[in-house]
This record gives sequence, C-alpha cells and structure tokens, in this order.
Amino acid sequence: MLSAEAAIHRTRRDLTLGYALKLLVPAALVGSLMIGPEPVRLALVLGVIGFWMALGLTSVRRAQLAAMSPSLIAAGRFEEAEQQIDQAIRSFSPFSAAKLRPLHHLALLRHAQRRWQETAMICRALLGQRMGAVRGLSNPARLILTDALLEMNDVRGAYESITRLYRERLSLAEVLHLMLLQLDYSARIGAWKSMFENVMAKVQMVELMPTDGAARAQAFLALAARKLGREDWAQWLGSRAQLLVDVPRLVAERPVLGELWKSDLPASGQG
Amino acid sequence: MDPTPLDSLDVPALLEISEPRGSTPWAWYAIGAGILLAGINQLVSDEAKALKLAFGALSGIAIMVILFALLASSFAGMRALRAQERRLDGVAEMIQLHRWPQAAIALRQMLSQPARSAHFRIQALVYFTTVLARYDRFDDAVTIQEYLLDRGLVDPTTAFGLRIGRTMAMLRQDRLFDADRAISDLRRTPGAGDSAGVALVELYRDVKTGHPTEALEMFQRKLPILREQLGHRVADAWALVGRAYDLLGREDDARTAVANATLLAPPAELLRRYPELEKLTGRFQPAPMPAA
Repeated sequence: MLSAEAAIHRTRRDLTLGYALKLLVPAALVGSLMIGPEPVRLALVLGVIGFWMALGLTSVRRAQLAAMSPSLIAAGRFEEAEQQIDQAIRSFSPFSAAKLRPLHHLALLRHAQRRWQETAMICRALLGQRMGAVRGLSNPARLILTDALLEMNDVRGAYESITRLYRERLSLAEVLHLMLLQLDYSARIGAWKSMFENVMAKVQMVELMPTDGAARAQAFLALAARKLGREDWAQWLGSRAQLLVDVPRLVAERPVLGELWKSDLPASGQG
Repeated sequence: MDPTPLDSLDVPALLEISEPRGSTPWAWYAIGAGILLAGINQLVSDEAKALKLAFGALSGIAIMVILFALLASSFAGMRALRAQERRLDGVAEMIQLHRWPQAAIALRQMLSQPARSAHFRIQALVYFTTVLARYDRFDDAVTIQEYLLDRGLVDPTTAFGLRIGRTMAMLRQDRLFDADRAISDLRRTPGAGDSAGVALVELYRDVKTGHPTEALEMFQRKLPILREQLGHRVADAWALVGRAYDLLGREDDARTAVANATLLAPPAELLRRYPELEKLTGRFQPAPMPAA
C-alpha cells in the first residue's frame, strides 16, 4: 500500500520529469534535423516521434485502467481500487493529467476509508499543482478537503476552503455538496440564524441530495430550528430525516444531532 | 389543457433527424492533395529549374494551408463537441431541478438536428424519455426506450434503468400483461433483487392489480433499499403502501403511510405520478407543513 507522502512525492517527481521531457522532445526533434546525412536524420526524427507516441499510448492505457477506480470505491471494493491507483501512481507518464487523476482517486479512496488526515494531505498537494487539462478536479478535491477538515474538527481550515469554493463556478452536484458542508460548518460554530435563513429554498435543494446527505442536512436544519425556537419546523424536518435514515446512525456520525431525538435514542446512541 | 413544449411532437421523425451524419473525409482529401502535389513536383523535369522551384514553393504553401485548415477545423469540431456536452450537462441539471419545460425545449431543439456524436445523441434520448414520462407521454417514452434497447445502444446499467422506466410507463398505460412480463424479465437480471427501482415497479403493479398483501410484504422486505436508493422518492413507496393498507381496510396504517408519504413529497405530485391514489384524497389528511 502506497502511503500518502510516497504518492505525493512520486507524483511531484514524475510531473517535474514530465515538464523536462516536454522541453527535451522538441529540442531533440530540432537537433535530429541537424545531425548527419538525410537517412540518419529521418531515423532520429522517427525515433523521437515513436518514443513520444509510445509514452502517450502507455499513458492512455493506464488512464483507462485507472478510470475504473471511482466505481470500485463507490462499490466498496477498496482493495482492488487501491491496487489500480497504486499501479497508476507508480507508472511514469509525462502528461500531468495521467499523474494528477490517480492522485485524486487516492484522495477519494482515503476519504471513503475515513482516513481524514491523509485525505486532507493529498487534496492539499493536488490543489497545489497546476491542474491544466484536469482543472475539473479542483472543485471536487476542495469539497473532499473541506469534508476531511470538518471531520478533523479543523473549523478554521474548513472556513477557508468553503470561502474559496464560493468563488468558483460549481455544478449542481457540487452546490449540493457545498450546502451540506456549509450546514455542518455552521452547526459547529453555532450560526443557527444563518442556517435557518431561506429555509424553504434550502429544503427544496436538500430534496435533490442522495439519501444520507438529505437526511443529515435536514437534521442540521431541524437543529437550527430548535435552537431558534421554531419547534414546528424542528419537528417537521426531524421527521423527514428520520424517514430517510436510522436515527442512531445519523447521531453516531454527528453526535450534535442527538439533541433532536434525546428521548427516542437508547442510552448508547446518544453520544 | 395547457399547451406544453411537447405539443405536435413527432418522435419517429426526431429519431431519424437526430442521427449523426457521416462527415466529409476532409483529412483524407487533404492528404491526397498533398501526395498529388509532391508527386507532380517529382515529375517536373530537373532541367526546368525555374519551373521546379516555383512549383516546389507553391506546393509547400499549399500543404501548409491544408495543414492549418485541418488543424482549424479539428479545433472547431472539438469546441462544438464541448459545447454540446455542456448543453447536455445543463439538461441533466434542469431535469434534476424539475425545470421540465426548459429541459423539454432544450432536448427537442437538440434532437431536431443531426447530432455531432452518437454518444451525445443517445444521452439526449435517455434524458428525453424522463421528460416525456413527466408529461405523461408514455407512448413516446416507450418508443424511444424500445429504440435504444432493441438496438443495444446503451450500456447494461443504463439499459437496466431504461427497462425500469419502460415498465413503469407500461403500468401507466394499463398494459398490465406487458408490464408483468417486463417485471419478470427485470427480476432475472443479476442484481435486480437489490434494486429499489424494480421493487417500486413491483409495488405499483401489486397495488394496481389489487394485490395489497403482496405489496405490503414487498415493502417491509425492501424498505431499507428503498430508503437508501430512492432518497425523497421513497415517498412514492409510502404512498402506494397507503393505498395497499386502504385496500385491506386498515385505516390507521393507511393514515400513517399517507402522512409519511406527504412528509417527503407534495400530495399533488404523488397523485400526478400515481392516479390510483385519487381514492385516498380527502379521506386521509396529508402531513401539515409548517408556516414559513
């Protein structure tokens, strides 16, 4: 198993080598046009082009293999995903996309394994790179980073990350993810009023989330409603959350939500 | 009836028009022209030096122009493909946000001209089946679903989703025999036992055909996966269960089920999806929503 530090180190090294190679190949092409008689020049040019094409083909093949890892992670097949990501990170490619994508997959894997420290480290390393062709990975990486920071109770780090996300153009799925993180963050700092603002619009957005996110978001909104004395909303939102997931599970993930179901929970589940 | 963005829709015509057209093989023509120019250059006698020089320069320029034109056209093609991809992503978001008229207009426009790629056309058609079902145009939805399935144009996961959608459409069309056969086919698919979509279709079939006991058994067995996979759409299952309890005369249970369903989804939306729920209207109160 590749450690986060080793994966980051290897990716950075390969990216540097890749940049150097991208400068060397055109120089080698120009140089080979100047050396020796015509057949030698032709052979050299073809050799350089062939070498570059072989690197490109290997990268494409490895990228195709590594592209399966997110679905393996989603299916909970972590060991297979780990193997594929490991191979992709260890193999050399001069193309930054072929190096950064496996690193992003490793962040996804560590996040799914709830290894928050490593997730944050990988995401930070990823976001520190020039993304170029894979700039679409930047928002998902920052969302994962924010989630990991919240799990580690790094509220300040999460705030900075959320602020950066608000400046980006986000897809609908990313907006929904950000909303959940914002609610989680706001609950940690006790910003109940801002959580409850525009509650109806928030409820409509929550309905578009996957089950776990929808339940957690509504439970956070219910908690905000209770803190503000809006018991009608607290009851309504809490009941909706309860219909989507089992309360003990919800409370085990976010103990602060136990306040909503104090009387219903078994002693062990109240956190 | 209010006009909809799908009035005077001709699905077979859309299927025909949206077929991607074979592009003119400009690259091969250009390569041929380059070879031809190089060949003519070789044929010009070495003694006619001025002519050979002039022809050499001209053919060099021509090859450069051809290369640039090819590069420019491939960049333009790539940009057009990316624009279409962005439009399709936009449509997916409109559907998720339930902006049905905008999604219907965008898809109709997209499919009213030859697609740039077969992949995008198939994706647009898959989205279109969702929009058609939303507008109760089940015949059209089934036509497209069968077109995609019969020709094997989609991957197994998408095909499974399309088959669930087609079965639901058949139930809405009261094609109960076809729907029953389609459910049997679905159940034979690997992984169907863990699919909330299949469970929901079966639940609807059982309620629709007057088998409430089977519907309740199914619901009790499948509730965990229904909740996990359907999210707020688990309201559909609760509403159908409400009707099943009602058919059995278990009023208290029906009341609880209706309250649960309407906690998660507006009663009007549930009634639009399942007209059979009309029988519950007025008899069981929906869950009250707090005032803003």
